[in-house]
Formats: sequence, structure tokens, C-alpha cells
Amino acid sequence: MYGKGLKPLSIATVVAILAAFSLVFFYAPLDADQGFIQKIFYLHVPLAITALVGFVVGGVFAVAHLRSGNRKWDAYSYVSIHMSVIFGVAVLVTGSIWAKASWGHWWVWEEPTLVSFLIVFLMYATYYPFRYAIEDPERQARYSSVFAIMAGAFVPLNFMAVRMAQSLVHPRVFATANGGLPGSMMFTFLVCLAAVALLWVTLVKLELTAKSASGQLKRLRRALDAPAPGGGGSRIAPEVG
Amino acid sequence: MVGLLLAGTPALPLDEAGKYVAGAYVVFLVLIVVYVAIMAAKLGRMEKELRELAGFAEQRRAEGGAEHEKVSAR
Repeated sequence: MYGKGLKPLSIATVVAILAAFSLVFFYAPLDADQGFIQKIFYLHVPLAITALVGFVVGGVFAVAHLRSGNRKWDAYSYVSIHMSVIFGVAVLVTGSIWAKASWGHWWVWEEPTLVSFLIVFLMYATYYPFRYAIEDPERQARYSSVFAIMAGAFVPLNFMAVRMAQSLVHPRVFATANGGLPGSMMFTFLVCLAAVALLWVTLVKLELTAKSASGQLKRLRRALDAPAPGGGGSRIAPEVG
Repeated sequence: MVGLLLAGTPALPLDEAGKYVAGAYVVFLVLIVVYVAIMAAKLGRMEKELRELAGFAEQRRAEGGAEHEKVSAR
């Protein structure tokens, strides 16, 4: 069910990423201040935005789950958060590389943007042990949804708090009063953001397809385990190691 | 086409800055490749399980058919 349209979506994602990276390296001008290092911006910032929005989306799906009781929304919420955590790893690593190149340090603890993202990431890293510590599937889904909603609400609050805090060294590209990015850089950035968001959607769809297929396999195994009509007792389907 | 494109673009500096930029983009690509590889392994396991279940179902059907023939012969 989830696999429908996955192929064209995957092709569109590959094309979008190739186009975005081509724009980054062959179209966008070099930054007057940072030079070539600034090219990391086109990867790091879209990844961060997508990851944070993905966390909030996970919270929205969790609301849908609690309102409807449909486990489908819990799966959507889980996969959204899972994918955003993976993107979060990429954000932290690319950010550290950029920090080392620009500031000479892999990590700056005094910088609120970095630390706040780390806090959000670590908070979502606890989602997995929290979720899998609960054995009952109904309770697991319900408690995980509550976690996803609370954490999802924390993300924009955290973002606003950082914006209001006095920045030390992290640039505020989109907050400058006189312009911000020039047109060609902004265009490249928006294409990169669209490509990374498309990648997130594709990977979420892929993960949901795999989860759905795995669930159907389990159902098939249970059906085959059931006693054959007309007696014979329970037939145990072979376990795959 | 690629040659024209490369000719029309500024030379990519592969000094200190280039190494960091390449590192960031390689990390991103490696993460995606690792994720896709994990998904491919998962898909392979599911395919194997599906094959085994299909074999089991066929075996069950064959056994059921043999039993049915026995009952009919009696």
C-alpha cells in the first residue's frame, strides 16, 4: 500500500539532489566572507530545517493517532521521528565540520544554536528506549504518541528561545535586516531545501513500505501457524534466523 | 556537455577549505548509502522469509491434497 508511487518519487529525489548539488558547485557564487567553506551551508541548513520540521510532523501524526486510535498514525509518527534522528546525525556531523573549518573548533559549547540542536537530538534519541521499554503494543503506541507531541511542541519553543538569545558566533543568515542572501544563493538554497525535503519524504515512504511488508509477513506467518481446517493441530511455520 | 559545464564554472579549490566541504558532502552521501544498504538487507531478509512461507504453504496444500485423496479412496 505504502509502496505505491515510490519509484517515481525516488527518481525525482535523485534528480533533485543532483540538480541541487550542481547548483551549489557550479552556479552559486562564492561567499565574500567565508569563501568555499560556505558551500556546506547548502547541505547543513536544509538538513537541519528538514529534521526539525520532521520532528514536529511526527508530533502532528501522534495527535492524529491519539484522536483516532488508528495505529497507522503511530507508524507515521515513529517513522517521521526515526528519519529526523538520522538527518539529525547528518546535521551534527556537517555542522561540526563547518565549525572546525570556520571557527577552528569541532564544537563550541557557548553557542546556543549548536547546544539547543544537540538537546533536541538527545531528547529524540531517548524516544527509542522509551518506546521499546513498553511491551504492550497499545500502550507503546499511546505513550510514544504522548512523547512525540510533547517533544514536537518543544522543538519550535526551543527554536524561538535560541532566536531570542544573543548569538555569539553562529550566523543569522535569514534574520539580517538588509537583505540576507543574494538571489542566486537564495535560489540555490531553496532548491537544496526542496531536494533534502524530498529525500526525507522518500525515505519515510520507503521505511513505511518496509514496515508494512514486514507486518503483512507476520500476519501470513500467524495464518499459517493456525490449525489446519479438519484437524491436524497447530502447524508451526519455520522461523527465519 | 559536461566538458562545457566544467569549462564555464570556476575551478573548485581543493585546498584546506575543499577538504572540509568534500568531507561534509561525503558524510551525507555515506549516511544515505548506509541507510539504503540497511534497507536492502532488510528487504533481502523479508524476501527469504516470504520464500520459506510460500514453500511451507505449498507443502501444506500438498499434504492436505494427499489426505483428501486418502479419505476419498476409503
